[in-house]
Amino acid sequence: MDIQLNRVDYIQVGVTSQKTMRLLPALGKKATQKVAIADHDGVLTCFGMKKGEAVPVFKTLPGPKISRMDLGGAAGTPQEKIFVCSGSQVRGFTKKGKQFLTFEANLTESINAMHVAGADLFVCASYIYNHYCDCKDQDYYLSGDKINDITCLSSENLTNIVPVLACQDRVLRVLQGSELAYDVEVPGPPSVLELYNKDGDVTGEDVLYGTTDGKIGLVQIGKGSAATKWEIDNDKKKGGILCIDTYDILGDGVNDVLVGRDDGTVEIYGFESTNEPTLRFEHVLSESVTSVQGGCVGKESYDEILTATYTGWVTGLTTEPQKVEAGPGDEVRMSKETQSKVEALRAELEQLQVKVLQGREQYQQTSQSSTAVSAVPIFSINDKFTLCQDDASYSLTLEVQTAIDNLLLQSDVPIDLLDVDKNSAVVSFSECDSEQPNGNFLLATYRCQANTTRLELKVRSIEGQYGTLQAYITPRLQPKTCQVRKYQIKPLSLHQRMHSIDQDRPMNRLSLVGQFSFAEIHSWVVFCLPEVPEKTPAGENISFYFNNTFLGTQLEATYCKGEGHFRSDNISTISILSDVLSKEATKKKINLNISYDIDDDSVSHTLKMIHPKLEYQLLLARKVQLIDALKELQVHEGNADFLIPEYRNILDESANLLEEYKKQPAHLERLYGMITDLFIDKFKFKGQNVKTKVSSLLEILENYDLNSLLNFFNEV
Amino acid sequence: MLVPIFTLKLNHKINPRMVTVGKFDGVHPCLTAATQAGKVFIHNPHARGQKPVAHRLSQSTQDSDISMLNINQAVTCLTAGTLGPNTTGDTLLVGSQTNLLAYDVHDNADIFYREVSDGANAIVLGKLGDIQNPLAIIGGNCALQGFDYEGNDHFWTVTGDNVRSLVLCDFTGDGKNELLVGSEDFDIRVFKEDELVSEMTENETVTSLCHMHGSRFGYALANGTVGVYDRTARYWRIKSKNHAMSIHAFDLNADGVVELITGWSNGKIDARSDRTGEVIFKDNFSSSVAGVVEGDYRLDGQKQLICTSIEGEVRGYLPASKDLKGNLMDSSSEQDLIRELSQRRQNLLLELRNYDENAKGVSETNSGMGVIPANTQLQTALSVRPATETQKAHVELCISTPNETIIRAVLIFAEGIFEGESHVVHPSAQNLSGCIRVPIVPPKDIPVDLHIKAFVGGKTSTQFHVFEITRQLPRFSMYDITDDSSQAPPNGKVVFSINDRPQRVVMWLNQNFLLPEGVDSPDITFNSLKGGGLLSISMAKNGQITLSTDDIDLAGDLVQSLASFLGIEDLSAEADFPGYFEELRTTLTEVDEFHSVHQKLTAAMADHSNYIRNMLVQAEDARLLGEMTTMKKRYRELYDLNRDLINEYKIRSNNHNALLACLKSVNQAIQRAGRLRVGKPKNQVISACRDAIKSNNVNALFRIMRAGTASS
Repeated sequence: MDIQLNRVDYIQVGVTSQKTMRLLPALGKKATQKVAIADHDGVLTCFGMKKGEAVPVFKTLPGPKISRMDLGGAAGTPQEKIFVCSGSQVRGFTKKGKQFLTFEANLTESINAMHVAGADLFVCASYIYNHYCDCKDQDYYLSGDKINDITCLSSENLTNIVPVLACQDRVLRVLQGSELAYDVEVPGPPSVLELYNKDGDVTGEDVLYGTTDGKIGLVQIGKGSAATKWEIDNDKKKGGILCIDTYDILGDGVNDVLVGRDDGTVEIYGFESTNEPTLRFEHVLSESVTSVQGGCVGKESYDEILTATYTGWVTGLTTEPQKVEAGPGDEVRMSKETQSKVEALRAELEQLQVKVLQGREQYQQTSQSSTAVSAVPIFSINDKFTLCQDDASYSLTLEVQTAIDNLLLQSDVPIDLLDVDKNSAVVSFSECDSEQPNGNFLLATYRCQANTTRLELKVRSIEGQYGTLQAYITPRLQPKTCQVRKYQIKPLSLHQRMHSIDQDRPMNRLSLVGQFSFAEIHSWVVFCLPEVPEKTPAGENISFYFNNTFLGTQLEATYCKGEGHFRSDNISTISILSDVLSKEATKKKINLNISYDIDDDSVSHTLKMIHPKLEYQLLLARKVQLIDALKELQVHEGNADFLIPEYRNILDESANLLEEYKKQPAHLERLYGMITDLFIDKFKFKGQNVKTKVSSLLEILENYDLNSLLNFFNEV
Repeated sequence: MLVPIFTLKLNHKINPRMVTVGKFDGVHPCLTAATQAGKVFIHNPHARGQKPVAHRLSQSTQDSDISMLNINQAVTCLTAGTLGPNTTGDTLLVGSQTNLLAYDVHDNADIFYREVSDGANAIVLGKLGDIQNPLAIIGGNCALQGFDYEGNDHFWTVTGDNVRSLVLCDFTGDGKNELLVGSEDFDIRVFKEDELVSEMTENETVTSLCHMHGSRFGYALANGTVGVYDRTARYWRIKSKNHAMSIHAFDLNADGVVELITGWSNGKIDARSDRTGEVIFKDNFSSSVAGVVEGDYRLDGQKQLICTSIEGEVRGYLPASKDLKGNLMDSSSEQDLIRELSQRRQNLLLELRNYDENAKGVSETNSGMGVIPANTQLQTALSVRPATETQKAHVELCISTPNETIIRAVLIFAEGIFEGESHVVHPSAQNLSGCIRVPIVPPKDIPVDLHIKAFVGGKTSTQFHVFEITRQLPRFSMYDITDDSSQAPPNGKVVFSINDRPQRVVMWLNQNFLLPEGVDSPDITFNSLKGGGLLSISMAKNGQITLSTDDIDLAGDLVQSLASFLGIEDLSAEADFPGYFEELRTTLTEVDEFHSVHQKLTAAMADHSNYIRNMLVQAEDARLLGEMTTMKKRYRELYDLNRDLINEYKIRSNNHNALLACLKSVNQAIQRAGRLRVGKPKNQVISACRDAIKSNNVNALFRIMRAGTASS
């Protein structure tokens, strides 16, 4: 970290969506820039900083929630017109706050991504993409999965503007008019797109993307194909990317990439001699960073990174050094500006306090009346429930605009709750008798420490056991209310979408034939597997590919009206699918003709796939078991020279081994469970019940050896 | 921001809570800690390479600053300080499950080595009350013992459960130290010499205590709570999901008042203001903290705060200098102030918005919002439910709404009665109703505040109103009033006299029992739902109260509760618990048996060790002579012998554990007999019982327990 940035809080507005804060172009060189920010109350605020105080330029009246913001203007002029979208409406404001445009896009869904370029307006609402020129309909496209973001390539070399859509199914779709030109596969569901260097670099074709699982990459969108220039993996398991900007904050003449994540991390990636980005700075704010911009706001000629967070804080990370005025007194003397700021705030607080007391009294009075009702408006929750690829567990993040008091988690399926270091809340598990009619498998409360607005939890599910996880969130806000959020734990919960599968593996096939529509079978697949779009895909038939994040086995689902084929090298996957699908069909009273095509080689193939994982885990467990004893020997003898090299090696690497072991709790148990399932499922398809033999299987696993395990699977 | 002024990596593991600093030569402070394999290491960076190797002490080959001390037993506690009157340096005291060693590191000699049958879980060194010499006080299984520099025990008393933490401080403000004892029955007890002056009940095992200043002290519990008491009043407490490993008082911000420094199991160190608990400084280790101590480790006249981790990392912090202005963290305070004020403004604005929107009314269509009639009030009722075929006996908490709204879930936060800190009732979607019954089974007779949060709304709501209610569960809630005379009356009873009106006793009954419609006479019979049989209370005209029950613990609880309610300072009583006394008699004979077995086993072990020595010599002889078959034979025999020894060891340790359990129950019996009395009579009973046990006079012991005095 060779750069020192200091945090400065500017103002707080309402809850903000992704990409709703922008810096207006500077008027002169080295002058401070104005900030435009829009929030869920529908207020668009534009302010500048004067002597450390935020001076509003204009502020619109509250209205429907604003979901995106973009800057635009006629080609060749400063891009200083502000466009915001709320619902299906797009509004335009001049930098003085005059509204010059109201445009109703007449979409059934609300707009969640928007791009403005000259007279062209591009909007996206879940699956739909629309292009307007001078407010007239131009092009239209229906995407296969949800559209998260849009950007457009436009440079002199290009005759047309090329829109690029970031779609949930892990592809960037490049359009030409109303048609798909081609798509670009990216390593995770992309959540944000940004032109590199704000104009797509020299070629005008470079696009930065960020994914919900925290990866960043740069692709060059060519005429007929795309090329990936670089990719940054998310090794440290930071949050998903919400916003990206390019700005030369390091002052080395090359634009740096600024990144904001949903766990509050702000990062700067710089480019040294190579063209590979390297992390140069990191700062963690306490809540999701919804927008990030590079520019100059607080003081002339001091560059800074401006961020907006979920709860509406506009915070700068500035290069301006913080001055500490040490006064003669005991207290650190505050600067005059801060003092006046604090005084103003205190005065405002007092006024508010009085108003709130009045409100409280009135509210109390209504409780005397027998006709009045109490209805507290719904507070907004920013939640995310995603599968982490590395440890095959789900991470649940919850964020509320005010401090959370407590959280109740309830599940009707057996799941494990894992400890997360970042989470400081005190967890308490309540006894739940699953025999009871209440059917609870997990009841846990989290009592949060003061000022916790964001909670992160980890949940481990078991494939084949499905149901709902419910979270009741109670914030510290009067009158006290709580809101419930539901999350589906799907039967094949550990599967993740892929672009293609390895066709050489031995595969088992499950085929369904019956009187069902395309929409029906699609809804069953949605029920079974994560990351499948809810909307029935266009066309006659569809194929999806999945990967089991824990074992690495794969699944191919191909289906159309009246027919469905599922192929997987894991026999347990097929077994779970056939159970769930036949149950779902029975619910709808549809007769299914189910046929299997089981490849016996697939079981040994799967076992061989598990083998290295299992062996590694067993070895790790054995080594970890030895560490304490070896350390004691070492202390006893004074040194470790007398030990055989293998043991000395364990001692040397004990810290790493322990850390590794801690990272994957119950990994062995999970593997054992899956091997047992595999064993039962293999013989289930042969019509044999082998549950009585599970104990001998476990014995073999105790003294694990691949061959004896393979033999056992074949012999029985 | 405050940064460590020195950091050391010691390459030795440190056992949690077993760290101290001692000036063994009277000048140089040495960090001393227990490590693996029954060893204690002494880190002395000040006098390099001058130590002779002899007796227990040996130089570590890994690090020249460290000397190792071989204890050959798992260390359970250690401390250092001035014990003898004429010693130059500090004495090191090391406790194990069976022994206490006082050791002079400078002279490399044992001062005394005493067997302590109750074990030493915690140790503290210092002056207690009027006792002239400093004592090393150890706390074991229900017992406290204090030794002077000659190894004589000048202090002995019993306490309610296994002792986990000790500290000396002037609790009463009389200029003399009292002993504070934290134990596994969640109590902090204060002893003025052997007189119990105060008792504070917490909700988990008290793992650490530390003296702050004056009568103020800090404490830590096994469930992650730390806090500060001033006498019997708790100032503040906080709870974390991590465990507090060690607490220490140190003035880190140099404002003249000590802060509570806590070392946590996740490696965090934090310093909290003694008044508010506000964090003024924090730092992180990569592994769990083992101990927090202080000492002038750089020999420059300034005390440093020294924190150690279990992996042997040591960091020292100097108190903050003046120019930091008490601001030890790196964020700027003005930014934080503004942020906090803005946050408060935002909260008020949100609350205001809630009222505004509520006043506007809401469209009927939005059912997810959870609209409820404004006059909805939650009713709660507590009642005692005897056991039925399907359900165990419990206290039932019934929560209901007066209208068609439903209760989606109920959260009850309460201390000490649930497995965790909360209990949740979440009916399935089909079983939603406006009434929820929660069975509660309090495991102990303690008064508990139930903080109830009920989520109230409509059947399809996604947002619910949260009703927060606090109800108190009285101390004796698991007792059902009965007039059934068919059950056999209890044999045990305690009889005592009070000078108070019966109405006051009735008041006490109504406050401490869960009675459906109250009572107006002090003569009453209960059925204990915990399976203790009947409990009957009666009061004669002359103020004599008879409590009949077979449960001596319950009788003790009742006496203590009644005495504190009526403000009685001294109360003597006569008691008889035939069942319990019979049990105790058996236990006492068992103790004798275990003792004799123990001696036999020890003798056998000595024989075996001799045998091994011979065998080893023979085997080595054979090897040197090249007689391989004989050698093999000898080694095989040795192997067999070794196996025998291991088996014997197992027997011995089982025997030892059984012995410990018996001794604990004997100690508990004394404590229980004491609890049937209050004030001076209580202390008399305890010391008389102790004398009876010392002189092995079983009959006298029972006489004392019955009558309260030794002379009959």
